[in-house]
Amino acid sequence: MQRKLFTIASAVSMVGLMLSAEAAMAQKNGGVLKAYHRGTPPSGSIHEEATNSTVAPYMGVFNNLIMYDQAKAVESLDTIVPDLATKWSWNGDKTKLTFNLRKGVTFHDGKPFTAKDVVCTWNLVKGVGKAKLRKNPRKSWYKNLDKVTADNDYQATFHLKRKQPAFVALLAGGYSPVYPCHVSPKKMRTHPIGTGPFKFVSLKQNEHVKFVKNQNYWKKGLPHLDGINWTIIKSRSTRVLAFVAGKFDFTFNVDVTIPLLKDVKAQAPHAICELVTTNVSFNLIVNQFKPPFDNAKIRKAMVMTMDRKAFIDILSEGQNVQGGAMMPPPSGVWGMPPEFLKTVAGYSSDVAGNRAKARKIMESLGYGPDNKLKVKVSTRNIAVYRDPAVILIDHMKEIYIDATLDTVETSNWHAKVARKDYMVGLNLTGIGVDDPDANFYENYSCGSQRNYTGYCKPEMEALFEKQSMMEDQAARKKLVWEIDKKLQEDAARPMIMHGKAAQCWQPYVKGFVTHVNSIYNNWRMEDVWLDK
Amino acid sequence: MADIDHQAELVKAGAHVSSRWDKTLFYARRYPLGAIGAVIMVIFIFSAIFADVLAPHDPLQTRARASLSAPNAEFVMGADMMGRDMYSRIIHGARISLTVGVASIMLGGFIGVFIGLMSGYLMGWFDLLMQRLIDIMQALPLLVLALVMAASLGPSLENTIIAISIPLVPNVARVVRSSTLSLREMPFVEAARAAGMSEMRVALRHVLPNILAPLIVLFTAQLGAAILVEASLSFLGLGVPEPHPSWGRMLSESAAEYVRVAPWLVIFPGLAISMAVFGANLFGDALRDILDPRQRS
Amino acid sequence: MVLTLIGISIIIFVLLRLMPGNIADIMFDSAGFVDPAEKAQIEKELGLDLPIPVQYYHWIKGLLVWDLGFSFVSEMPAVDELGPRIPITAKLAALALGFSVLFGLPLGVICAVKQDTGLDYTLRVISLSGLSLPSFWLALLILMFCVTYFGDIPIYMDPPENLWDELLLYSIPAAAVGFRSSALIMRLTRSSMLEVMRQDYIRTARSKGASENSINYHHALKNAVLPVTTIIGIEAAFLIGGLIITETVFNIPGVAHFLVEAILMRDYPIVQNLVMLIALVTVLINFAVDLLYAVLDPRIKYAD
Repeated sequence: MQRKLFTIASAVSMVGLMLSAEAAMAQKNGGVLKAYHRGTPPSGSIHEEATNSTVAPYMGVFNNLIMYDQAKAVESLDTIVPDLATKWSWNGDKTKLTFNLRKGVTFHDGKPFTAKDVVCTWNLVKGVGKAKLRKNPRKSWYKNLDKVTADNDYQATFHLKRKQPAFVALLAGGYSPVYPCHVSPKKMRTHPIGTGPFKFVSLKQNEHVKFVKNQNYWKKGLPHLDGINWTIIKSRSTRVLAFVAGKFDFTFNVDVTIPLLKDVKAQAPHAICELVTTNVSFNLIVNQFKPPFDNAKIRKAMVMTMDRKAFIDILSEGQNVQGGAMMPPPSGVWGMPPEFLKTVAGYSSDVAGNRAKARKIMESLGYGPDNKLKVKVSTRNIAVYRDPAVILIDHMKEIYIDATLDTVETSNWHAKVARKDYMVGLNLTGIGVDDPDANFYENYSCGSQRNYTGYCKPEMEALFEKQSMMEDQAARKKLVWEIDKKLQEDAARPMIMHGKAAQCWQPYVKGFVTHVNSIYNNWRMEDVWLDK
Repeated sequence: MADIDHQAELVKAGAHVSSRWDKTLFYARRYPLGAIGAVIMVIFIFSAIFADVLAPHDPLQTRARASLSAPNAEFVMGADMMGRDMYSRIIHGARISLTVGVASIMLGGFIGVFIGLMSGYLMGWFDLLMQRLIDIMQALPLLVLALVMAASLGPSLENTIIAISIPLVPNVARVVRSSTLSLREMPFVEAARAAGMSEMRVALRHVLPNILAPLIVLFTAQLGAAILVEASLSFLGLGVPEPHPSWGRMLSESAAEYVRVAPWLVIFPGLAISMAVFGANLFGDALRDILDPRQRS
Repeated sequence: MVLTLIGISIIIFVLLRLMPGNIADIMFDSAGFVDPAEKAQIEKELGLDLPIPVQYYHWIKGLLVWDLGFSFVSEMPAVDELGPRIPITAKLAALALGFSVLFGLPLGVICAVKQDTGLDYTLRVISLSGLSLPSFWLALLILMFCVTYFGDIPIYMDPPENLWDELLLYSIPAAAVGFRSSALIMRLTRSSMLEVMRQDYIRTARSKGASENSINYHHALKNAVLPVTTIIGIEAAFLIGGLIITETVFNIPGVAHFLVEAILMRDYPIVQNLVMLIALVTVLINFAVDLLYAVLDPRIKYAD
């Protein structure tokens, strides 16, 4: 397993090397990248959002302290490189993480960047300090962060409550930009200011988001592009047709679904398309506090009647992958390998056998052809949510469950989920950083806002903490598999599959590398150039 | 009355007026377009009523192997992304369209007739108030009003019906009111009133039957409009929700995505909507010509 | 008129507040959770915690001094959000209306003159089918056709640079919308021509030996134009309905498209002001049509 991963990683990094070699030889400056966007970004403030609608276009406005190497496809603790921090170091018991900061960096408004800005940013995320974020989706990531201090103008230290070697992974993603102290959160939403390669120009709802080259970028000679224009087109059919017709250089972040990919390849054979695992999983949120799913047996039966392969075949022509909470290998670093996955209850490939067992369970509870259990499956009124829900309902029919679909407008979905006003919901979960700390604390930990089902078990909390403190990453991985297995068998948030989708660009767009284990972290765009 | 007019024509044309069938044939020959419309409407209503028998498959059943399959012997109109049989879905869709169309017209018609009859008959403050209300409703385009209504009621079959019915009210109320206004001065209505009939009974017994003809014309014309608005709302994601096989929903984003890979997903529901509305319009036109002599050529 | 507008403002305001889900929920959607405390804070910031009558009072007070409030979504002044979009929709509507009159009127006349001939039937069937095609379907087919056969897609991407580009860009969506109105205008022209042709003064003209052409085009058409004017007026206001769909499919950043988005996002300041604008335009057009009617109506003229 280790070796396999290694070969993939090295192959990928070789591609990365070749790309950068090519870039070093012949990169051209100038030109505006024409990309499309799938919908108006909710705001320009990355810390307030949990969607690639914001991260993808706005990541280039900012810098992080450290970041995942943009040229390397597989993100891991080993691919983290300096950004605004020139170097970072742990203290003896690994509870203090000190960053030495770059000097002479200025924000887009001309004000200098100092350690004070680092302190302000993480105070904002911790919810301490005067300025407040309107929404704070990643508070749970920083449960273990005690405080951030500025040792001097160019040195900042993160004080952790306990050891957490993977803490740097959280800081390296696109969701962890450094904000300026002197700009209010409201201004950051409407007109963000950063230190990054691109300056925000304008956002017009349903029309465009525009960025222009930062002439004073601290990395000399970068960015190559004069600017990036994202044209907003809500209809997927229209925007993909427009890409096929050559109106765009670049699609939105993994916007091309598998059936569409075939069409793009047929119509625009020269276009470059890369299919990646999105680290967005399709899962069920099961309300364990209300009938009928307060009954563990019914939960078990429901999970057993799901034919995961059918979901994958229908929705992705067999391309999506089965897995647990963590993104499955080979793309994912932490997911359960196939042979291990088979040992998890409900994951065996004998669907008929599973369903027979599930029917037995239902019969033992008094259900049958003449006495069906009536259930509502709630989901958002968006095709990508609705489609799998329709399949789920079909699969439930097999075990005497008569389910109806309850489509919920986007405007009500999270409110409804928060009220626990559902029986079972079909949900999509995007993971920003492929690291168990991000995933477990965000989605399965007691008290986390994004832990929709309210799953909370002290023994699991202990395991989360145990893996988080481990330094030996290979041993940590073994433990993570065990945790993942338990999560699946508890039906905390039964996984259906992990999605795949493609990113496409015209052949003259160079220097862009898709990352295979997250769609949120490779949008700095400073190395991208146009060969025209 | 319109009917008498036609009796005369029937005689003139030398037709045998004795049988119903002959009468139908006469109308069909006189209004060939209307006849085509009637045939389409009959097919439409027939599939709506007997959808369970006519559809070869369960419209909701998903099949992995049939995902996006092209029209073939098993799925004559192909299958959608989830492998659901398009033909069965379209037949069942007729039921949704007809339900929404008829129910919204009945609801809107009932409210409209009530308002129109009352304000035309009672006049005074009630009339004034209702006229203002109708002005308000008419100052907004049908789709805009339906859109706001649909959004504020939330997506469901019942709410779609309500959202579509409300914008229909002013049209009905207007027609009924003006007919009532002219009828109430008629001698036979005056006579009924003089004979001591209560106002309510006069309205129901004498006025209502006499405005039936223009109402039927209006209702048929509205049927097409209602089906279209339902399709538009569903297309915009505010109409009848999944898994109901609504034609408009079938054409919305999820299907449009595959327009090039699987054009049958877009062509057949679009045809179904067009045909149903076309039939209703043709039939409505002929009906107007028959029942409303002023418009006759 | 003013009463109507006040009525609409109340109805729209109340309907919007009845909508399930509010902007605070939608804002949390992009963060993937709802935090009750943070949500209450947002509602307070936006003034949504006030009683509805007070909110209404604030809105109307602002309207009177041309302060439309801020878009909840973009936090920009609603005036700045709506302003640039209005001309786009207005141009599109004007083009569509021009298209529909250009086709509808002459075809209607031809149908009336050639009543009950094959031509009449054919044109009537075509016009009826125009009324039957769902506009989004038509638009989708047009897009498909253009991509398949011309390798290009006529959607809005950047603001057009000159008048010609603009005309080119808007002509296809305008035709897609205008197709429907032209069918309506044609049908109405036909029926009102026919009605006029049956009237006494036409018979008189005919008996006086006026040529058929003169009768048809001079007397009949002139008088038939009257009701057609009304329908054109009403259509102009109602085009916005057709534009909702067409702007959405062709991705045109006009107000009609914006209305749908704003409704879905529960962006109250945008929706309520936009609906008021639509109502105002409709009411004004109706008023103008009434005036025009008085000017054009021959009976009124004869009475003078």
